[in-house]
Amino acid sequence: MTDRPVTQCSSPLRLCLWCVLAVLVEIGLYFSYRGHDARFHFLTHLFVGASVAFVVMAAVAWRRRRPVPYPLVWPVAAHVVAMFPDLLFTAGTAHACWMDVFLGHVSTHFVPGRNLTWYVVFLGTLALYLATVQRATRSDWTSRTSRG
Amino acid sequence: MTRRWATGQRLVAVWLVAAIGFAVLLLMAEISRTPLDDPDQAYQRPGILDLGALPAPAPPVTADIPAPGRPAVVFFTRPGEAAALCSALAAARLDADADVVVVSPGELPGCDDVPVVTEATRQLAMSYRMREPAGGGAPVGYAVVDAVGQIRYRTLDPTATDELSEVRTILEAL
Repeated sequence: MTDRPVTQCSSPLRLCLWCVLAVLVEIGLYFSYRGHDARFHFLTHLFVGASVAFVVMAAVAWRRRRPVPYPLVWPVAAHVVAMFPDLLFTAGTAHACWMDVFLGHVSTHFVPGRNLTWYVVFLGTLALYLATVQRATRSDWTSRTSRG
Repeated sequence: MTRRWATGQRLVAVWLVAAIGFAVLLLMAEISRTPLDDPDQAYQRPGILDLGALPAPAPPVTADIPAPGRPAVVFFTRPGEAAALCSALAAARLDADADVVVVSPGELPGCDDVPVVTEATRQLAMSYRMREPAGGGAPVGYAVVDAVGQIRYRTLDPTATDELSEVRTILEAL
């Protein structure tokens, strides 16, 4: 049995931990919605929140010329913002139009196509982020090879 | 060149996994819909007063409901769902905050202290403009009327029995 450097073990472990944490938070958010019909509302806020996060992540990645750190945490955080009025509702505060400040919490439910539209937006913004990451990586690679 | 290709493949794989995974979630949400649910889920339990065409005048359900100066909750149910609703209403004591009435298209054996209106024609459901469930037939849900006789909230809600706290939240928002 050979001794492996600590960094080789801890890096994947760290990656795994924050991934698991992000997934666990999403599962917790899912079960915070009561009733089978609430899945519709859960998915709307997930798609909207994640889409906003991907746009911000693409801008940050473009500016820094490298992928953002902890990429799963950003959409989860934005999802919490988008669904925050639902947490208020569970605590006894009904929805109101001003709650649209939370990433369009009320009005996003009523776009034509409903969740199918947000699913397409979600995939589009995810593609935007991934394309930005690839481009940033390519620029990094090109600049390094031209220097070498 | 190989590294760029490998990175591109990995990113496409990430996108495909997300596309398939979330398509499955969307599909599951569709499949879990019951015949009593609203065909447009955006209108089911929206949690906000005065949505769409509301507020609108509330037609009388009984001689004294809705009554001026007191909110009312009109539950629309079916005979098969009524027993659970009535026992939940007895436990929740919503009648402390509002007049409560149950409307059913078929005869009910009774609903504790809550008045019951039986009407096979579903005229009341139509006059309250309750939405038609995905499977058709009588709606299962409720409408909330404020103290000046305006309908401020209405929704199909086949699980209202388990979520009467939501009705209280809406009443408090009036």
